[in-house]
This record gives sequence, structure tokens and C-alpha cells, in this order.
Amino acid sequence: MTAVTAVTDHTDHSDQPGDDEGREGEGREGEGRQERGHARVEDDSVTDRRNAYKNAHKEDPDGEAVRKEKGDSGRVRTETGGGAESGSGSGAGAGAGAGGGSVEAAVGEDEAVGSGMDAVDATDSAGAWDDGLIARRVSVTAEGQARAVQEVVVDNRSPAVTPLAYDGPLRSRLDALRELVGLSRTRLDNRTLAEAGRVLDEAAARRRLSGQHTVVAIAGATGSGKSQLFNALAGVAISETGVRRPTTAAPIACSWSDGAAGLIDRLGVPGRLRRRPLQSAEAEAQLRGLVLVDLPDHDSAALQHREHVDRMLALVDAVIWVVDPEKYADAVLHERYLRPMAGHAEVTFVVLNQIDRLPGEAADQVLDDLRRLLDDDGIALGEYGEPGATVLALSALTGEGIGELREALGHFVAERGAAARRISADVDAAAVRLWPVYANRRQAGLSEEARDEFADRLADAVGATAAGEAAERAWRRNAGRACGTPWLRLWRWYQDRREPPTGRLSVRAHDEEATARQRVEQAVRTVAERAADGLPSPWAQAVREAAVRGSQGLCEALDELAVRAGAPVGRPPRPGWWPAAVLAQAAMTVLQVVGGLWLAGQVIGFMSPNLGVPVLLMVIGIVGGPGVEWACKLAASGPARRYGLDAERRLREAAAGCGRARVLDPVAAELLRYREVRGQFLRATGVDAPVG
Amino acid sequence: MVTLDVRPQLLDALSALRDRVAAARFPLPLAGAPRARANRDELIAQLDDYLVPRLRQPEAPLLAVIGGSTGAGKSTLVNSLVGRRVSEAGVLRPTTRTPVLVCHPEDHHWFSGMRVLPDLTRVWMPRQDVDDDPLLSAEDDLRVLRIETVDTLPRGLALLDAPDIDSLVADNRVLAAELMCAADIWVMVTTAARYADAVPWHLLRTAKEHDATLVTVLDRVPHQVVAEVSRQFGALLAKAGLGDVPRFTVPELPESAWGGGLLPATAVAPLRAWLAQQAQDPGARQQVMARTAYGVLDSLKSRMPELAGAAAAQYAAALRLTAAVDGAYDSEYTRLRGRLQAGAVLAGDALKRWRSYPLDCSAGELLDALAESLAALLLCAVTAADERVDEAWRREPAAGAPGLTDRDPTLESAEHRIGMAVRRWRRVLEEHAEDEVRALEKSVAPDPEVVAALVATALLGGRRARSAGEGLAERIGAHGALRLRDKGGRLLTDYLDKALHDERERRLAPLDALDVHPEPQAELIAALSVLQKER
Repeated sequence: MTAVTAVTDHTDHSDQPGDDEGREGEGREGEGRQERGHARVEDDSVTDRRNAYKNAHKEDPDGEAVRKEKGDSGRVRTETGGGAESGSGSGAGAGAGAGGGSVEAAVGEDEAVGSGMDAVDATDSAGAWDDGLIARRVSVTAEGQARAVQEVVVDNRSPAVTPLAYDGPLRSRLDALRELVGLSRTRLDNRTLAEAGRVLDEAAARRRLSGQHTVVAIAGATGSGKSQLFNALAGVAISETGVRRPTTAAPIACSWSDGAAGLIDRLGVPGRLRRRPLQSAEAEAQLRGLVLVDLPDHDSAALQHREHVDRMLALVDAVIWVVDPEKYADAVLHERYLRPMAGHAEVTFVVLNQIDRLPGEAADQVLDDLRRLLDDDGIALGEYGEPGATVLALSALTGEGIGELREALGHFVAERGAAARRISADVDAAAVRLWPVYANRRQAGLSEEARDEFADRLADAVGATAAGEAAERAWRRNAGRACGTPWLRLWRWYQDRREPPTGRLSVRAHDEEATARQRVEQAVRTVAERAADGLPSPWAQAVREAAVRGSQGLCEALDELAVRAGAPVGRPPRPGWWPAAVLAQAAMTVLQVVGGLWLAGQVIGFMSPNLGVPVLLMVIGIVGGPGVEWACKLAASGPARRYGLDAERRLREAAAGCGRARVLDPVAAELLRYREVRGQFLRATGVDAPVG
Repeated sequence: MVTLDVRPQLLDALSALRDRVAAARFPLPLAGAPRARANRDELIAQLDDYLVPRLRQPEAPLLAVIGGSTGAGKSTLVNSLVGRRVSEAGVLRPTTRTPVLVCHPEDHHWFSGMRVLPDLTRVWMPRQDVDDDPLLSAEDDLRVLRIETVDTLPRGLALLDAPDIDSLVADNRVLAAELMCAADIWVMVTTAARYADAVPWHLLRTAKEHDATLVTVLDRVPHQVVAEVSRQFGALLAKAGLGDVPRFTVPELPESAWGGGLLPATAVAPLRAWLAQQAQDPGARQQVMARTAYGVLDSLKSRMPELAGAAAAQYAAALRLTAAVDGAYDSEYTRLRGRLQAGAVLAGDALKRWRSYPLDCSAGELLDALAESLAALLLCAVTAADERVDEAWRREPAAGAPGLTDRDPTLESAEHRIGMAVRRWRRVLEEHAEDEVRALEKSVAPDPEVVAALVATALLGGRRARSAGEGLAERIGAHGALRLRDKGGRLLTDYLDKALHDERERRLAPLDALDVHPEPQAELIAALSVLQKER
């Protein structure tokens, strides 16, 4: 089965990073090695499940193969798990701890069922993550992420650790953000989305780790006494302190209770730098669930320290900023760290250390000034029960104020809300950063006006108005010709014979490119501009592209359409009075002829002289002929107008339909997509505003 | 020994160079532009505040500027050096917001005028005022320099207590940099907690670049660790290539550290002695002065080409922007000509009119339709060109300059302008047709409007309007028709060229208004080479 081959493959791969750290952590006894073993196992099984999931979808959606696959992966897991067990057994030292034991117990208890269930769960979550590039990013690019995923299951199986659960609003915001990233992939470049993707990854990684623990980092400038404070809180000299600047080069972690190994692994703190605080029941109870990390400085000339700090600050749940009376107003602290993290005020402590160096009330003055600066930075201060940063003054050297900090930390850790609050603040920050690419200045959408204007322009391009007018005039001309006096027609016929018929007869030539290209181009451009107006630039660009893509071939289609729709359908319709008019005109002519003949007959003496009647007949005929013609013209103007309008409308509607199908619909679809994304964005920002 | 001998030519060259630098502008928002602007300001400040006054008056007192991070104890150090509270020290940061210059009373005239630091307003504040109302100067918005005279200071030496170099207050940072540049002696103060900070090391590196006379003070060292910290600081200095810089250590003393009091004279005695020696020993004084002055002169060698490079980059960016516009309009123009040749104007409405002419359509209507179609073609070309320009500019960081891309909604007005041009063309064409008809010796003269319509159709219709040419020849004769068509064609080309050219100019106008030229680069380099020759 594929699963088995995948296992062997991945054992090889995952060996390498494991080895690196294994060598690093050589100093540590069994615990480290055991975890490595588990990590490897989990890596395999996760990959198995992913493969299984893919296979299942590819081969047999009915479920039979799925179940088989899952069963297989479960078995594989148990096997390798056994291997790890033996490994941990051989290497188990005093430090192996309760975590290792419980893992073994869990495996021993229900091999098939338990791990099978795990596999199903994990498959589901992997499925949820396989929705786009995010999931691939997790498995392909981020080595750290892969490791974080491994830890998940270690913790899952340990009964002492329950994973973190986000509350409803936050979960829905994260979902919205994930959806948003997925929807935006094709429109925005990766750089813009990187921050949001990172937040999502971190949120997912953190969610799978212990919710009982709160990771708090101690950050600050060199020489502010971070390590001193760390030691004071731990009650034992763990971190090296000294006068040499910078002192601490690598982060040190200290955990107050068990089960935080996954969290510390995620921070990348090697085993040899993990410590336990001084064992005392009281301290343990107060700070239970606290994982304290001592960071290097952020402001020394040693650049790699700053990189360490920047990386860790993105991973921890809360930060204690340690400042001292000398450095509390440093620009680098405020501008580089505190201002950008102003949204994280609720998970921020700012402690003024070294107050033993300040005489008398100077400490209060400095503390007030510090508060003022923090306020300027935009950090909400947690005073009077409002949520915000906690600001304290203390001296790690003398121990003054440590108790307060310990108490505050104790409350903070006991709430167990820091991780969620931190993630929430991260989502806020990501949303703020994404604001310019999603927020529009005004209502997005294609107004009816713009659509009409587009149709008008297309009609212009195919020449609908001119075609209509031409048809109207041609109809009227025909009517005039049909109902005109025969003498006039004779005269015209004679004229036509004499002159060459240049342009006299409307030749229905078949024109190539009868549509005005420039007008179509302009119409598309204008409508795209209208639709994109007010949209953030990536989306405006997408709308424009959709319009341009749709307009390809539009001209040719319009050409064809003009030929088809422009051609008259058979003979132009004739009104019902037409025969009567023709008859009347004929009667007039007959009257003229009869009158004439009568007169002629009198002249040659063939008939008795009676001038009155024939003259009257002729006069009636001569006056009535043009009269009938005139009346016909009057009567014909209505139908002619209708005929022309009809021709115009036919062409116009055909062109508009063509434009709608090819340009307006894709543009509208793009706008709809934007609106959807915008809705997701609003959900992600936590604003419940109507989508518009 | 290096001495300072200054010829007037050098000063002339220097002031010419200063003018050139001041004239350099970097309006386009390129990556290096803010840096170049800062460099230019810094260079001007250094020339005005330090180099020119120093070269003009070598006998003026030495100015030692005390600089360092906030909380390093600069003010306390100055107070202790003169033995009196002249500069306010305190626990709230940043403490010193107004720079304080301390000198001997007899040296006062050197600094009270605008000889050095001409853009700082001098305030003269009696001591008691300072005590009574310490916030008075801090609240002042003007950039001020407070001058104190103290007779405990040796003659020929002035101390300047600068604001912190990495202040949260941006103005302070700028001011501090400017003040440091005005110094004969740079006194860099750091502390036991700070000596590994990145910020002071940037300052030290700059000092080394400028080859300024530098002295470092390691302040606030708890006495238990004096030896160790001092050794480590020395090692760091040596590593940075500054091992020969005089180094003084001042211990942290509880009674002086945070109260703003004075350190005992013994704590600062070595520094004081060193400064006094630099000021009073003519040889040492000459050396100090010459080193810093020549350091600045030498630094011009690298700073001027940097500025010139930035100016060149500006010009290159402007050129790229212009080229993008030109390229877009040129290619659109070519496309427009091609379309005209192919008879694209005689399409759509105009084509329908032409097909029904003259039976169902009058000459005037045909002419109207043709003019409208021509205007549409022109407008299409212009908007397409604009779109291309926008696209090309989107990839140019320089296009972000204010006013360059935020065009007023010109589409309507462009339509208006083009419509006007086309109407004018039509009128002139009609006049030509009338002339031609009038010249005709025919009993029945053809209607001039018909002639105009036929000419326009023949000109704009390409192949499919061949019969228009025939009809025209029939009406006014082959010669007349040819003449009229030639005239009309020239007219059309002229009007099209003008319309497109106008639009292009309109597009380029904001860029031209930014006034980016190639000259500053050459001028900066020329000024530098003149200066080099005069040295």
C-alpha cells in the first residue's frame, strides 16, 4: 500500500532535522530522545493520513478504500509507536517525566481504536487544511510548521494536556480569514497575504498545543535585567546574569507544570535550555501553567539577537517588556516594538526594573512618564479594570514588586485566555494591514446607468441610429414612389436612365469590419473603469482584465451580428391602406386620361361639345394626383418611423446582448467575487457590517 | 603635524559647493531619496555649522559636543565638568530638549553671533530663571540654543550638551545629529548598561568615517565592575578599529546619578584635563582642529558622489517616466495612423451613413458622423496611451510622487479638447472646399458641403471609400479633387499630431514641474573637483 512506502520515505526525510537537534540536545537525558522518537512517528502518520485522504478522494469515494487506508495507517502508527516506546524505554532517565509515561499508557490501552479515531480526526483536519495553498504551505515550506503538527498529536494522546480551544467569534474570524486568503490567492501577490497566512498558521499550530499553558516571554533591552527578573520569578538562578553586554545570547525556557514540551518545541528552544523552577508548592500553585521564556536583547549590536527576539515574539502568548530607568525612552523599543504591537496591549506587561537605582519619588515619576510614553505609542493601559497592558515597577535585585508581578502573572495565567487574545490581536493586525487591498471607497458595482451607457456605445459602434434612420427614409421613399403620380415616376425613370447610377441606388455591399473598433474599445474601457471605480487596486485590475478578456472577439461578433440583424426580414411590411392609395392614385390618373380623351374627342368632333365635364374630370385628376401623394406621405410617416425604429432597436438589442454576455457578465462576476471577499474580510475584522 | 592653513580660494570653492548641494533636489520618491535628502541636509548643516566657520576663523574656541543615548548622563557629565548646574539633569527621559552651550565668558562673543549653528535661535537665560521655570525652554517650539558662561571652563573650549541621538522625539534626533556634526571634538557618552547598544556604535562608525576627533566616556559604571566593563568596552572599540580613541571611565555614584547633582571633581578630572589640554596646548589644538576639519573635507570625497549618484538616479527615473509616456504615445500614434489608413473612421454609424448617401442621407449628416467617428478614434488612442502609461508607471516607484498620477478626471475634458480639434479641422476643411468650388468655372456649381463630405470620406474611408474619390473628381475635376485631397490630408495630419502632442504634454506637465534635470549631478561633481584642486 502507498501508506507503507510513504512511511519509509518520510522516516528518511524526517531523520535529518531530527538528527540536527538530537545532536544539539545530546546533553539532555532520555526525555529529549524520547520526544524525538515520537516526533518522527507522528510525522509519518500525519503524512500517511494525508496520503490516505488524497488516495481516498482519488480512487474510491465510496468509503471502502478509505476505511482500509485508515486502518492501515493506524496499524503503521502502532507499529512505529511501539518502536518509539522501546526507544524511550532504553533511554528513559530520571528526566523522562510523566509525559512519556502517559504516552506509553495511551498507546498500550487502545491501539487500534484510539489511534484509528485519531487518524480520522486528523484526516478531517487535514482535509480542512487541504483547501488551497495554505495547507500546501504548511507541509512544503514551513519546516517549523511540520514540527508543530507533530507535537499536536503527542499532546493529544497525553491525557494531562488538553488542546487550546478558541471561542466562537475568534474561530469564525479565523475561518473567515482562511477563506479570505484562499479566495484572494489569484488576485493578490503572496507578499501581501504572507502576514495573514502566517497568522493562520500560527493560530492553527497554537490551537493544537496545550491550552493549559501560557507562554510568556521576557523581552527588553540589553542590561535592563531580563535574566535577573527571570531568575527572580523562577526562584533559582537559571539564566546567566552579568555585566558583560549582551549577556543572554539564546532564549531559555522555564515551565511551571508538565505538558508544555510541545509549546517549547514550537519556540525552538533546544532541550539543554529548558529548565524547571525551584520546587515550591506555593509558587507552583500560583503560576501553574506558566511557561516563561528569557529572550536575548533587541537593541545590541549583535544582530542575531534581534532576529531571535523577532522570531520568538511572533510565537509567544504574552510578553513582559522589561525596561529600566535609563532606557525606558529608547526610540528602538518604542518605534520598533511597542508601537507595532499596540494592538497586543492585553497580552503585554511592561515592568520598570531597577527601581532600586532611583531615589525616593523619582520611581513614581519615571513610572508616570513611562505610562505617558506607552499612551503615546497607542498602547491601552490596563488601569481601573479596563483591558490593556499591565504596567508595574519592581526591582529584580531587591525583590521589591516581584510579588505583585507574580500575582498579576498568576491571574493572567489562570485565566488561560492569553493565547486566544494574542491570536485575536494578530488577526486584528493582519486585517489592518490588509485593509487597503480590501476596503473600497464606495459602493462597488455596475450601475444601471453604466450598463445603459455601455449599450449605447455599442449601438453607436454598430451604427444602429444611422441604420434606423436609413431604413426609415428608404421606407418612406418607397412609399412615395409607390403612391406617387405616374408622371413623376416616369420623369425619375428617365433621369435614372440619363445619369449613371453612382450612389443612387443603395448597394447592400458586404463590408468587412463594419463595426467601429475604436468605439468598442472605448466602450469596454469606460465600462471597466466605471466598474473598477472605488475598488482597491488589485481588484480594480482584476475587473479591468475581465473586461478586456471578455472584449476579445467582441468586434467580430458584432460584425457578424450587424450583417444578420441589419438585413431586412423579407419585404418591408405594407400598411393596409396601401392598395387603396394605389387605387386612388390610379383612379386619379384614369380621370386625367378620361378627361383628356373626352376633350380630344370633342376637338376632333367625335363627340358632342360639352366642355364642363371633361375639364372638371381633368382638373380633379390633376389636383387629386398630387393630393393623394401628399396624403400618402402624411400617412406613411408613422409606419416609416416605426419601421426605422424597429430596425434600430433590433440592431441595438443584438449589440447590447452580445456586449452583456461577453463583457458585462464577466465583470459582474468579478465584482461579485470581490463582494464575497469583502464580506469575508469584514467577518475577519470582526465587524458585522452588511456586505456592500 | 597637520596644520590648518586656509586660502581664500578654498573657501570660495567650499561656498560654491555648498550652494550646489543646497540646490540639489530629490523630489521623486525613489528608494534612496529620503536618505539622499537627509544626507544633503546633514552636509549643508555641517558645512554651515562647522567647516566654513572653522576654516574662516581657526582661532575660535574648540567646540566639544557631548552626545549619546538618552539616560547616558550627558547633562550630569557637563555639569560636573564645569562644576555647576548649567544643564538640567533628571530621571525623566529625554531630559535635555534644548541644547546648552557652555563657554568661558570671554569666549561668549564667538557663539552669541550666528557664526556657528546659524539656524538655532540663541537664548540667554540667567541662572535663576532656569531654576524657577525649567519648562520654559522645553515648551518652546523654536529650535533654540541656550548659552551659558562659566568661568571655571578654560578659555578656548566650549562644551555643548546635545539631546539624545536616538530620541523618541524625532526633532531631537535631527538636532542631535546636526550638533554632532558641528563639533571639533566628539565626546561620545555611553554607560555600563549601554555600551553594546547598536545605536551608539552607529555614531562611532560615523565618527570614524568622518575621521573626527573622538573621545569616548563610559559613564555610570558600578565600581565593582569597572575593570571588567572597561576592558570589554575597550575590546569592542578595538574590534571596531577605534582602539586608539581616548577612553574615560566615570563610575556610578549614588549621590549624583539620578538627582541631577554633580559628580565629584575627581571623577571627571581626567576628561577635564584632557579637554583642557586640547584647548590650551597650541600644538594639540591645531592637531585636533585640523584632524576634524580635514576629516570633513575628506569625507566630502565620498559624500558628494553619493549625492551626485542620487541626483543621477532621480534624473534617470524621471527619464524612465518620460520614456514610458513617450513610448506609449508613440505606439498609439502609430496605431492611430494605421487605423486611419485602413479606414477605421468609416465604420459603424459613419459607414451606415455613407452607404445610404446620398439617397437617404444628407452631406451634412455624413460629415457629422465622420467627425464624430474621428473624435472617437482619437479619444480611444489617447485613453489607450494613458492606460499604457499608468501600467508602466505602476512598476516605477518614482511615479508615486504627489500630483504625478492623481490626474483630475480628465477623460471628459480630453473628450472636449479632442472634439474641439476635430470640429476645427472640419471647419477648415469646409472652407477649403468652398474655395475650391468658388474657383470652379462651371455653370452649375456643386454644393460645397457635398464636396467637403466627399473629401472627408475619401480621406478617412480608406479603401472602402474609393467611390467618394470618384464622385469628387466628377464634381470638381480630377485636378481640383487631388488638390483638395492633398490639402485635407495635410490638414488632418497636422490636427492629429497637434491633438496627440497636446495630450502628451498635458500628461508630462506635472513631471516637468518637478524640475528634475541632469545638471545637478555634473555640478556636484564639478564643485567637488574644484574643491579638491584648491586644497
